[in-house]
Amino acid sequence: MSTLAPAEEAAIAQAIGEARARATPLLLAGHATKDGVLRPVQAETTLSLKNHAGVTLYAPNELIISARAGTTLAEIEALVASAGQQIIAEPPDLTALLGTEGAQTLGGVVACNLSGPRRVTAGAMRDHVMGLRAVNGAGEIIRAGGRVLKNVTGLDLCKLLTGSFGTLAAITEITLKVLPAAETMATLVLPGLAARGGVAALSAALGAPFGASAAAWLPRAQAERVAELAPFAAAVALVRVEDFRPSVSYRGERLRALLTEFGAAEILDEAASRAVWRAVRDAAPLGEGEGNDAVWRVSVRPSAGPDIVAVVETLGGRCFLDWGGGLAWIAAEASAATHRAITQAARAAGGVWWLMRAPDALRASLDVVPAEPAPLAAIARRVKAAFDPAFILNPGRIHAGL
Amino acid sequence: MIDLPAPNPATLAARERIVAGLRALLPESGVIAEALRLKPYEADGLSAYRQVPLAVVLPETTEQVASVLRFCHENGVRVVPRGAGTSLSGGALPLADAVVVGLMRMNRILAIDYADRLAVVEPGVTNIGITEAVRGAGFFYAPDPSSQLACMIGGNVNMNSGGAHCLKYGVTANNLLGLKIVTIDGEIIEIGGAHLDAAGYDWLGILTGSEGQLAIVTEVTVRILRGPEGARAMLVAFRGNEIAGACVDAIITSGIIPVALEFMDRPAIHACEAFAHAGYPLDAEAMLIIEVEGSIAEQDDLLARIGAICRRFDPISLRISQSAEESAAIWKGRKGAFGAIGRISPDYLCMDGTIPTGRLPEVLRRIGEMSESYGLKVANIFHAGDGNLHPLIMFDANDPESFHRAEAFGADILKLCVEVGGCLTGEHGVGVEKRDLMTVQFNSVELDQQRRIKTAFDPDWLLNTAKVFPLTAALAPAVPHAA
Amino acid sequence: MQTNFTPEQLRDPEIAVANQILRTCVHCGFCTATCPTFVLLGDELDSPRGRIYLIKDMLESGRPASEEVVRHVDRCLSCLACMTTCPSGVDYMHLVDHARAHIEETYRRPWHDRALRALLARVLPRPRLFRAALIAARLARPLRFLLAGKGVLARRLAAMLAMAPARLPAPSPIERPRAHPAAGPRRQRVALLAGCAQQVLDPEINAATIRLLTRLGVEVVVAKGAGCCGALTHHMGKHDDAMEAARANIAAWSHEIEAGGLDAVIINASGCGTTVKDYGFMFRGEPEPWRARAARIAAIALDISEFLTRIGYRPTREPPGLTLAYHAACSLQHGQQITGEPKALLRAAGFTVAEPAEGHLCCGSAGTYNLMQPDIATRLRTRKLANIVATGADLIAAGNIGCLTQLASDTLPVVHTVQLLDWMAGGPEPAAVTKARAPRLAH
Repeated sequence: MSTLAPAEEAAIAQAIGEARARATPLLLAGHATKDGVLRPVQAETTLSLKNHAGVTLYAPNELIISARAGTTLAEIEALVASAGQQIIAEPPDLTALLGTEGAQTLGGVVACNLSGPRRVTAGAMRDHVMGLRAVNGAGEIIRAGGRVLKNVTGLDLCKLLTGSFGTLAAITEITLKVLPAAETMATLVLPGLAARGGVAALSAALGAPFGASAAAWLPRAQAERVAELAPFAAAVALVRVEDFRPSVSYRGERLRALLTEFGAAEILDEAASRAVWRAVRDAAPLGEGEGNDAVWRVSVRPSAGPDIVAVVETLGGRCFLDWGGGLAWIAAEASAATHRAITQAARAAGGVWWLMRAPDALRASLDVVPAEPAPLAAIARRVKAAFDPAFILNPGRIHAGL
Repeated sequence: MIDLPAPNPATLAARERIVAGLRALLPESGVIAEALRLKPYEADGLSAYRQVPLAVVLPETTEQVASVLRFCHENGVRVVPRGAGTSLSGGALPLADAVVVGLMRMNRILAIDYADRLAVVEPGVTNIGITEAVRGAGFFYAPDPSSQLACMIGGNVNMNSGGAHCLKYGVTANNLLGLKIVTIDGEIIEIGGAHLDAAGYDWLGILTGSEGQLAIVTEVTVRILRGPEGARAMLVAFRGNEIAGACVDAIITSGIIPVALEFMDRPAIHACEAFAHAGYPLDAEAMLIIEVEGSIAEQDDLLARIGAICRRFDPISLRISQSAEESAAIWKGRKGAFGAIGRISPDYLCMDGTIPTGRLPEVLRRIGEMSESYGLKVANIFHAGDGNLHPLIMFDANDPESFHRAEAFGADILKLCVEVGGCLTGEHGVGVEKRDLMTVQFNSVELDQQRRIKTAFDPDWLLNTAKVFPLTAALAPAVPHAA
Repeated sequence: MQTNFTPEQLRDPEIAVANQILRTCVHCGFCTATCPTFVLLGDELDSPRGRIYLIKDMLESGRPASEEVVRHVDRCLSCLACMTTCPSGVDYMHLVDHARAHIEETYRRPWHDRALRALLARVLPRPRLFRAALIAARLARPLRFLLAGKGVLARRLAAMLAMAPARLPAPSPIERPRAHPAAGPRRQRVALLAGCAQQVLDPEINAATIRLLTRLGVEVVVAKGAGCCGALTHHMGKHDDAMEAARANIAAWSHEIEAGGLDAVIINASGCGTTVKDYGFMFRGEPEPWRARAARIAAIALDISEFLTRIGYRPTREPPGLTLAYHAACSLQHGQQITGEPKALLRAAGFTVAEPAEGHLCCGSAGTYNLMQPDIATRLRTRKLANIVATGADLIAAGNIGCLTQLASDTLPVVHTVQLLDWMAGGPEPAAVTKARAPRLAH
């Protein structure tokens, strides 16, 4: 097992070019915090982008920041926060959940298209990647998108590469749209609602004209793992509002009035809200790397979220819902049978899944994401070849043989 | 004038047989093949470019689209998809040997789900048609291109259309959940659905904005959003473009993102006022339309904050809309801007570059200089929040020389956009118009990368050929990487 | 948009006008969205932009109209929704008028088409003939089964029989030429276009207009020699017939202007109003004094709702607690761009006014369109009635006899705006209102 960690893009391109010439598979990584997500990659050599780091452009007046892939997310978050701005999709930090260490990089977050609670109202990471530089599997440097907020010039490779888990190209630099951070936030807590009632409340909130920015539901056991929610000693539906101070207090009250049919809501202040949503973002209510459980993310239409919850309950697993009910975070026994049950439930609800954590042997043998219908799988294979002709980049990471 | 590829002589020779084959697949009124009746299909919203197609088909179902594509694929016939034909980049320009697949008859709204905040519609539903269908429940479909009255969602998906309100709500790509597509070999594939995010490659993302290069869209699942409590527009008039540009910067850096932030220069103000009678300030050099949303108190609060910023830039006037009708008139002027130019000039070319917003004054100054040297008038409309610039170059199509100058002027503007760090097109698409300028923005490695993706979907390059990619390379599948 | 007329062609003043209109079009396509036939048929050839293209090609080539062009131009309702939508201000109305005249001159229609058009052009503008025809149609209704065929002719004849009202009102003396003096001091003097088909189908509309106006201090003249406005024949491309009808009106009203002065020519059928307001254009090439006279008449032509807004309207009765679905006639909202006035007057009169969805779409009446294109007209009517019923209104109000006839159904009564305004200002209760209230009284 060898690791290359060049600092310059040209060196990255050269490394990939040479690997291609030798047909040697490469495992792409930053600080390898998400190595256990999806399928294991069989590669002797790791190509780390962690040394290709640094912010290359930040124009707060144009809502744009560019940074090399190895830049830590923490560094970028601190920089934009200093100008009163934020990364829109609120990406999670899953190191605790995944039992890994180190600071995740921007490249890793983009390659995995990981988004947090704000995704339901403000879009995913993929929605805010305005431009990329990347090295494809032939060792060629390609640019996609640009450094402006609106751009439809040519095919949108930014979308294709974001969330491709390093299987098409090594992303070397990313330009993100950022937005002003809200002045303050507050959270409505509706205690005592079962999953279906809870999601109905979330839908009512998200369907109201009061600018809710996030909405989640936690069963009692998961809520009790969050210090600020434990006192409720009940399942909770959570709705967040973020804006200027007068708007937050006005909208909080309007939402409280709107949701009276679901019970009396309490409103958490800014500090408590920040803690609660950080926990939801990072899937902390599932517990940190407990036992040998596997972890899944399942995305369904919000109204089907409770169906997933019901299945997880029968499996004896733990779960909670973010994205207004549409994202289920699940921890349950790491077995093929459990996987089958969860993925069947997701499929029945017309949704998709990602196996986020499981023992290597298990994740190597499972459909860690849904298989694609044959005509699409054929296109996927051709698209893979269009970027990575020798199939050397993170082979098998998403689908076996791809 | 734009070059189109030489028609395939075999296809032209087989015209009768192809038309007969299509007639076997569709109802009688669904195939148009008479010369006279084909003529109105020769152009889209960019009428300077025209080409009568081989035939036009008007399918009514996904299965009919699939059967047409399968037939065309088997017979090596090129296909040009078309919706409302409002493209300003010639995205639906036919080819002499191509079958135009018009999706206007597929105009049904299939499902609306308020709990999950989505609607499932056919591609021929107009953009505004979605909003009208859900308005009663207080919802709307967010992307609002100026042509939203007429343009169809299938075209919006293919062009990744934006609009005046995308600063807050995003463009088409940010407001889709799923697609049903038909590939060139007639396979029907569902992409995404009612859930968020793709597991596996982001097919929804690459298909959106693909300008008909990859597949034909026959069903679209869009996100619908609950509308705000209210919205109000403010008109602020300035003494110069630089001042207005600086004001935009100041607003954004203050931490306020208005739901819309639109800039118009003097010629644009005058043309639009003649159409909309919205009370635009005719004495101004530049004008901003700034819109905010929320409750009345929230609107007041935001308008007060923004007004305070604007007053630092010595505005000539600052007017806050007092009624829904007044706001509607203000937007009518802006949204009818392109057509309104038709009142002061027989023809226009609408450019669509994007620039870093901070470079606006410099770019406008240089466009002004070009306008003088080319001897053609230009009006500028600008989505100031996101840097998307629409210079409208006025010319006379009955004077070929004036058209050639307009084309060259337009190309110079787009090169300028790329030079200052922007791009060729922010929302109208490359189409046929900017096809040959792609080399200004992308090098050959990058273009080849895109072409190989096209090939992965459409190996024989039958779909919307001669668009997006420079013609030199556009007619053959991209060369795979050498071994 | 680029045009390709030769200098010789452009010397023809008609072609020069067409060229100007075509040059204004920038081919943006906005018009397609609000065109009823495009919405229904989904073919650009049945949209304004497609028709403009076909017309352009026909005129540039100088060739006679072809069957294909005729088919698509015939499908145009002339609702003019496209003109409301068009940001560039394309004068589609005059372009399609020109095309229709060109078709009439250069295209030989099938015999039954010609016969039907000739019949309609002869009968409709002449109240006595029209009345006799309607009676005949009513008598022929039981024979409808004979028309079970699917041919165009059979369907058109069936449409005509279906359109003939089951009960025909007795002829009213009110349209006879005379002056109806103002009640009290005379504030204004106007001529009323007594019209043709409307007075046969519903004489109450003119009666209500005269009652309301005279009560408001307006002397109303029904001028001797005035009759059909010419719209019916104009839209069939029968240029000479239309000019003849218009000339008669211009002569009659000019005579009144010279005799006692006119403050306005009042029209209470908006389809006619659009045409009378266009007399200036129609006579632009005519020798004087006709050109000046026509322009003068056009300048003082007003829809009844415009005139009432101008002189002021106040109800005298208590609000009746009725909800109206206001149906905006295309000739009012698109042809004359009158949108706010009728609704404001009805609200002022004490009615709750509901506006149906897709208010911009035509109901399918469009002059003789519902007779010539029964399939499309029926689909539009069904769509319109569904939107109207969805408002939950008690009855339908509109300002055009064509729409009133088209929308008559067992579902909701229809009534002219002016009858409601007259009622609330002291006139008799319209029969439609009595009908609308009947089921509620029965409770």
